[in-house]
Amino acid sequence: MVDFSTILAGFGDAFSLFNLAFVLFGVILGQFVGAVPGIGPIMAMAIAIPFTFGLDPLPAIAFLVGVNKGGLVGGAVPAVLMNTPGTPDAAATAMDGYPLAKQGKPLKATKMALFSSVTGDTFSDIVLITVSAPLAILALKMGPIEVAALMIFAFSILAGLIGNSIAKGVISAAFGLLAASIGQDPENFTPRLIFGYWDLFDGLALPSVAIGMLAISEILHRLSEAHGNMRPAIVAKDTGNPDDRRVTWAEYWSCRYTMLRGASIGTVLGALPGIGSTAAAFMSYAMTKAGSKDPKSFGKGNIQGIAASESANSAVVGANLIPLLTLGIPGSVGAALIISAFMIHGMQPGPLLFENQGRLVYGLFGAMIMANFVNLWVGQLGLRLWVRVVSAPESIIFSSALLLCFVGVSMATSGLFGVAIMLIFAVIGYLMASFGYSLVIFIIAFFLGPRFEKSIAQSLALTNGDLTQVLKSPVALALLVLSVVSVVWFLRKNTEGEDE
Amino acid sequence: MNTLSDRISGLFFMVMGLAMYFWINPNYIETVEGGNLSPNTLPNIISIILAIAGAFVAIKPTTHRLRNPVLMAKTGLYVALLTAGIWAMSWVGFEFVAPVLALAIMWLIGERRPLWLGLGVVAMPALIWFLVTQLLGRALP
Repeated sequence: MVDFSTILAGFGDAFSLFNLAFVLFGVILGQFVGAVPGIGPIMAMAIAIPFTFGLDPLPAIAFLVGVNKGGLVGGAVPAVLMNTPGTPDAAATAMDGYPLAKQGKPLKATKMALFSSVTGDTFSDIVLITVSAPLAILALKMGPIEVAALMIFAFSILAGLIGNSIAKGVISAAFGLLAASIGQDPENFTPRLIFGYWDLFDGLALPSVAIGMLAISEILHRLSEAHGNMRPAIVAKDTGNPDDRRVTWAEYWSCRYTMLRGASIGTVLGALPGIGSTAAAFMSYAMTKAGSKDPKSFGKGNIQGIAASESANSAVVGANLIPLLTLGIPGSVGAALIISAFMIHGMQPGPLLFENQGRLVYGLFGAMIMANFVNLWVGQLGLRLWVRVVSAPESIIFSSALLLCFVGVSMATSGLFGVAIMLIFAVIGYLMASFGYSLVIFIIAFFLGPRFEKSIAQSLALTNGDLTQVLKSPVALALLVLSVVSVVWFLRKNTEGEDE
Repeated sequence: MNTLSDRISGLFFMVMGLAMYFWINPNYIETVEGGNLSPNTLPNIISIILAIAGAFVAIKPTTHRLRNPVLMAKTGLYVALLTAGIWAMSWVGFEFVAPVLALAIMWLIGERRPLWLGLGVVAMPALIWFLVTQLLGRALP
């Protein structure tokens, strides 16, 4: 148990102007880079790590935490303003953020994203600081059987996103899973559906698929609608009502349960290695929509949708550090980069970290809290700037966005092959949207597919193919029952929504 | 008439599912002896689901309205342009192709104002070059 003086000393170390400057620089960089489709905070962190070599551990880690947190806020900006998510986890934010921006309220939409992102992030940080150790032990008890059951539960949430045709929703999910099965088989490591292209052996890269389907396909649609009359990409209407440019306290407070649910989902999923913020954002969105008295308003600019998505995906960041700090297991690529930064700076994450380097750990917690406030402050200023940027003519916005996507995906996938895949999926996404198939369901299924198959294979290996072993795990059993209940509940909600 | 788009897409997915199950999966998935989960198990299950759901959409279509075919054809033009851009990048690099690609896209949209054309064709590619190669120290495609 860390004594109180160590905690105070750690926080005292963090709250200095020197560290604040590094957090500020990290947040500015993260928000800027996160807003560029394809680049995102992970790549920014990967690039930034070498620049921290000459720094002391605390400012170095504070800087990286700032980049990571800033990137999540930045990712929501193009999602809301242009329907082109900067990061895959911001795709759920676009579902209501973009319609609200199109109604002439881009600042309201981006501010709601910012406030709910910071709220979710702060919630998970508080959980991390207070109950990280017991949560990590709980997470460690999740074996492959429980993880497989959790994946089935995550898939069941997809039912909440199915619109007026169950068959079309099933096709979107199956098609996403099929795309996910391209590459090496997770159990036997043999090539699958690569058609001789060995670049596909590691599977289709998520940035190529997500940015192609969600961002480029939307840009293609918008380009085809342009008729030579140069409009701004987003029109910020001046209705004379200041409430259209801000989020009132009443609006923020009305989303408190949505944000609490989103932050809880994000924290729980973030504590489990490998699930990630994209799944958390969509799960939270689907649950909020299904639990709403007015589900039809979702997808049309409902601020609850923005709050649900942003609070969940941002909560994952803090929670990812729970298994990292307590067990030495990184929960995501971002956390894996942070663990490498820790080790470069002489920290050894794991059960003894709190005992051996408690002061530094609490310094990190202090930096995280600082980063949340800085994120809020920088975001308030940065969002105004971004809204001005996308008020430029769509000719320059879309041509620039396309070039940035090319460069971003090329950097993320190490070459033009990834860009070509992005274009193929842009066409697939455009056609799917034209024929009324859900791109969001496709992307979630694509994201969850490899994790699902791997956990099934591990479960079968562990139980020697005896699936009745699942009945011996109360957690897995509870999750499976919950999956059936949620599918029935979501489908009934959808049917009721159609009948009204 | 409104049901036509669903019938077409439903039939497409049905045929795709069947083609995957009977031809593509057996020929393009390497199977191995032993193991708990064969490499073709998941793709085969998905293919069957695709075929069944596709048939269902074709038989019981919704009244989804397809996007305007003229706009879809116009999109095809942009896709062809981007494909040519990627191909050209593989030969001469981003630095030379990006300004031309940006000009072509802006021109096709209908932009004719010199200031905005200058910003899109010269300033933006230069900014990307500076950001990626000078600030981030990475190579452009």
